[in-house]
Amino acid sequence: MKIKLTVWSMLLGGMALFASIAFTQGGGAPPGGGPGGRGGGGRGGILAADPKNANRAYDKHDISGIWSRNGSPGGYGGGGTCRDCGDRGFGNDVPSLTPLGQKMFDANKPSYGRNLGSPDAAAHPEEALGRRRAVPPANGTDPYQTCNPMGPSRALIYPDPMEMNVLPDKIFQQFEWGNAVRTIWTDGRKVPEDPDQPRWWGYSAGKWDGDTFVVDTTGVDERTWVDHFGYPHSAQMHLEERYRRTAYDVLELNMTITDPTIYTGVWKSQPKKFRKLSKDAIKTVDGWAGLLEDVCAPADDVELFNKRIRDPAGGVVH
Amino acid sequence: MQPEGSLPERARMKNMSQPFFPILVGLIASVVPALGHHGTGVSYDASHPVTLKGVVTEFHYANPHPQLFFDVTDEKGVVVHWGGEFYPNPAQLIQDGWGKKRSEAALPFGMHITITVAPSRAGEPVGAILRLLNDKNEVVLGVAGGPGAPPPPAEPAPH
Repeated sequence: MKIKLTVWSMLLGGMALFASIAFTQGGGAPPGGGPGGRGGGGRGGILAADPKNANRAYDKHDISGIWSRNGSPGGYGGGGTCRDCGDRGFGNDVPSLTPLGQKMFDANKPSYGRNLGSPDAAAHPEEALGRRRAVPPANGTDPYQTCNPMGPSRALIYPDPMEMNVLPDKIFQQFEWGNAVRTIWTDGRKVPEDPDQPRWWGYSAGKWDGDTFVVDTTGVDERTWVDHFGYPHSAQMHLEERYRRTAYDVLELNMTITDPTIYTGVWKSQPKKFRKLSKDAIKTVDGWAGLLEDVCAPADDVELFNKRIRDPAGGVVH
Repeated sequence: MQPEGSLPERARMKNMSQPFFPILVGLIASVVPALGHHGTGVSYDASHPVTLKGVVTEFHYANPHPQLFFDVTDEKGVVVHWGGEFYPNPAQLIQDGWGKKRSEAALPFGMHITITVAPSRAGEPVGAILRLLNDKNEVVLGVAGGPGAPPPPAEPAPH
């Protein structure tokens, strides 16, 4: 009897798990909204992630600390995002591509989303094409597969912790995966409209607009992708991030891309939400607290993993 | 590297005796295709898991996912060198108490293992590790079930 109960509890748990994963991976927020969906947006108020934080006081202008879009206790350990944190895509309502945008989109071959040509991909025509064209990374072109920087929009979508280190004139936004740091200047400067040299993380400046922290970014190297699904952008892209702390432990982010070279219209992201983590939520086995050194190092990721595992798995043997 | 014949078929073994094993593997298999997993999830066929008995030759506790290399000898004495990647990455393994030293000690050279993988769709002897037991039939690195083990991780880490 005990064994039977165990079996059934695992079966039911697995089914629930699958449903959850299919939701988070398969296309993001439900049409029309819900708390985390388009139209929800937190403007009517979002409940705290943890009920015990529901009445906990917080400063809406304090966005410092560790935040994660992953719902597990340590802020990761699960690959997917929190159920209502939005998925790994920028947004499903992709504007039409310009001819150049289409050319770049076609050249990008991602390894996330539904498998190219699969019945699964065919069964979800409601999803933008970028989410239905995954190929084995051995045959793909994802720049991140060889440890190139992700760039701001993709890093923000990545479901691992990030830390906002707030200083008087800038914010260092540190992403655990890749051990990447991006600078958001808050000293009143404006971002360059046409910088001499694009950068992997671009040029970012932020300021408060009421209770919303608004970050403008320009000059992002066009070799980065907007998200995991291979959507392109040009170096002329303007990225706007709007952060709102809507509860003690919830930070909401909405992004907008304006890039007429690539897209015929403005592209608004699905709402993304982060959960606040205490510093002690992340520890090594020795008890060393704080963001981990989670580096994408070519010696490990390319020379070892890609050549001996990733590529053979895709039929490319070195 | 790959002998003739279909590796998955050649390497397939009878399922383990635990009553919940088929259900467990089925659940894992149903979940895996939806996963990101450094983008390699698309490379594996989780709908046809393969269980093998092998001997550890190398183990690397590293990003983006730890890797296990092991030899599998078939009934004719042919040795096939397999490679497998763990779904949890080091950041996740740490949270479950599997630090580098403990993990490396658990998978020394020569360890006899029983391993279930989602094999490469390309037919190469590479797989995503769904379940791993050591020579004492103990779950190693907390991977995916086994007698008395907790349920498998909710999802693999995203790298």
